[in-house]
Amino acid sequence: MKRLVYFTLFLALFSASGMQLYAQKLSALDILKKADAVVNAPKDMHQFSRMILIDKDGNEKVRESELYQLGDDKRLVRFLSPADQKGIGFLSLPDDVMYFYLPAFHKIRRIASHVKNENFAGTDFTYDDMSSFKYAEKYDPKLLETKEDVYVLELTPKPNVEKEYSKLIVYVRKDNSYPIKFEHYDKAGNLWKVMERRKLQKKGNYWIPMEMEMKDLKKQHTTKMITDKVELDSGLTDKTFTKRNLQKVK
Amino acid sequence: MRGKIIFAKISSLALLILSGSLLAQSDLGINGYIQTYNRVRFDDGSLTWNENRLNLNFEGAPSDQYHFFSQVRLRGFGFSDVNQASDLQRQEKDKVYRWGLEFREAYLDLYGFGLENLDVRVGRQIISWGAADRINPTSNISPDDLEDIFNFGEQLGTNAIKADYYWDDITLTSVFIPVFTPATLPFGDFAEAFVPEVPLPPGMVLREFSDKIFLPENKISESSQFAFKLASTLFDYDVSLSYFNGRDDLPLANKVAITPVDTMGSVNLETEMIYPKFQVVGGDMAGSIGSVGFWGEGALFFPDKVDMNIFFQTPVGLQPLNNSLALDDKPYFKYVLGADYTFKNSWYLNAQFIHGFIHERGDDNLNDYIAFRFEKKIFNDEFKIAPFNGVVAVNDWDDAKNNYGVAAIPEITYYPSDNIEIILGAFLMEGKGDNMFSRIKDQDEFYLKAKVSF
Repeated sequence: MKRLVYFTLFLALFSASGMQLYAQKLSALDILKKADAVVNAPKDMHQFSRMILIDKDGNEKVRESELYQLGDDKRLVRFLSPADQKGIGFLSLPDDVMYFYLPAFHKIRRIASHVKNENFAGTDFTYDDMSSFKYAEKYDPKLLETKEDVYVLELTPKPNVEKEYSKLIVYVRKDNSYPIKFEHYDKAGNLWKVMERRKLQKKGNYWIPMEMEMKDLKKQHTTKMITDKVELDSGLTDKTFTKRNLQKVK
Repeated sequence: MRGKIIFAKISSLALLILSGSLLAQSDLGINGYIQTYNRVRFDDGSLTWNENRLNLNFEGAPSDQYHFFSQVRLRGFGFSDVNQASDLQRQEKDKVYRWGLEFREAYLDLYGFGLENLDVRVGRQIISWGAADRINPTSNISPDDLEDIFNFGEQLGTNAIKADYYWDDITLTSVFIPVFTPATLPFGDFAEAFVPEVPLPPGMVLREFSDKIFLPENKISESSQFAFKLASTLFDYDVSLSYFNGRDDLPLANKVAITPVDTMGSVNLETEMIYPKFQVVGGDMAGSIGSVGFWGEGALFFPDKVDMNIFFQTPVGLQPLNNSLALDDKPYFKYVLGADYTFKNSWYLNAQFIHGFIHERGDDNLNDYIAFRFEKKIFNDEFKIAPFNGVVAVNDWDDAKNNYGVAAIPEITYYPSDNIEIILGAFLMEGKGDNMFSRIKDQDEFYLKAKVSF
């Protein structure tokens, strides 16, 4: 009888810890999926923003851009200024397909994968950072820590996914599931870039960060993206996200 | 003739009214750049290029259905041409400071014109086809602007109507060019690069050379050209097939008259040149193999046969000396294979194998070229260095060490702030045998270019 009690107790404990481990794994993925869903919640978005490039001496350069997004896998970015970059466009489509348009050359070029990890037009964002994707599809998450107001996840690229980062540490707010901070680590495991999303505002049913900052710790260079105007669910269709539209200057 | 003039005047007036209306409806955007460009020859310090350019773009989008664009270039180019005091008194000041106005592009875009998926562009425009970098055998619509021989791929605007029809992932483009526009040739003595050695009969020495170019007659049947392109995506590659029916934009000699000028064998040559008709069937693709960007572009040229008639001037008039072929009607194939890759340390490599350069035509006259560019941005993108940038030409692989040409173009670009770039570089040529770089191997130069955009 005593043996049976011990055995039952052991089984219960084993099951509990197993369930806890299972729950934890599910929980990390759930948190990440929810974060993806919250970030990409608007059906579509049209956003005007300023990118402020700040070097280590504090010198600033400003680029103005407009961004169109449909769902979570289509994005078009077009530079409005400075003059020598006006009209440069970038189109990101599902399955890692990206196009680049340079008005001076009258041509659209498909972006090969070796370029995807290069900086986008002098900013601290790579082409890959600028593209639209779901983190849960590209990274395996692990819950590192549950703090008072944030979950801390560690994301490592899935085996068949090529990323310039060895891992990401992501801070996801508990109250609205919005990922507010990303620490990017290089292949050697050193902290390389830090991205923060600030000034979250509720626009209708959606949370929108009005300011985003990417800091490259190696270059001591920062890109701050400030949203000046944003339109949500304005009825954008697939037609906006085509090569035809990429080369149209607005 | 009178009818044509009236039609042209009415068309111009209509375009003016339309432009005025468009300007009134929209915010006209004006931007552009100012550039100064100077080149100095290494061996004797002579200045060979002196250009100051104001490039202005006028652009607007009155609505989602329309867009207009125009680019004009005002520039001072060349050197003072003062020979007498009166040249200094000219009100135009054109002898003191040579200048010109170039009307590069002026077109109107009509989006969803008649059909939702049809875009039409009408007016002077640059139409650039092909997946390769700068050397595009399938791009034969807009004439080449070869004024600066090292600025491969530069094109001139041409009057055209272009229609793009989009159907799912397929784009069908058709172009009609009513008026033929010839290419420009390299400025100054760099034109020698495109002129092969002229074989004269034994005992003859060239004293003077003159030429006369015959443009196609200015009527639709002679001067018009047209082209089609079908573009889509296939197995993750962007592909296109194209067809062009028109004329070579570089002139070809079809008649030479040799006139003896003394008893020592000295002769003058008078050459007549035409723009031969040809058709071009082309194709290109671009995509990736692994993480390496890869592209290919090829064009099969079907030229009309052009005879070469050589005459000798005698006391009783021109006598036929020799008849041969200037250009056979045998098809010839030009192609480009290229790849690019960015290394982990951000060095960017772009390399292309080119069979048949812009000016080469005829199966037996196509040489091989390897173009490469190795560059990197440094110091927070304030500098871009391209120490290994250039082209290697081989005109006989069996005896390559005696038949090669090299043009090395090391370059450093400084971006002191947004919209400003300063470029310092050099053109260094070497070679043996008869090829485009060995012909100009004694013309090494360094150059300085400064540009500000606004």
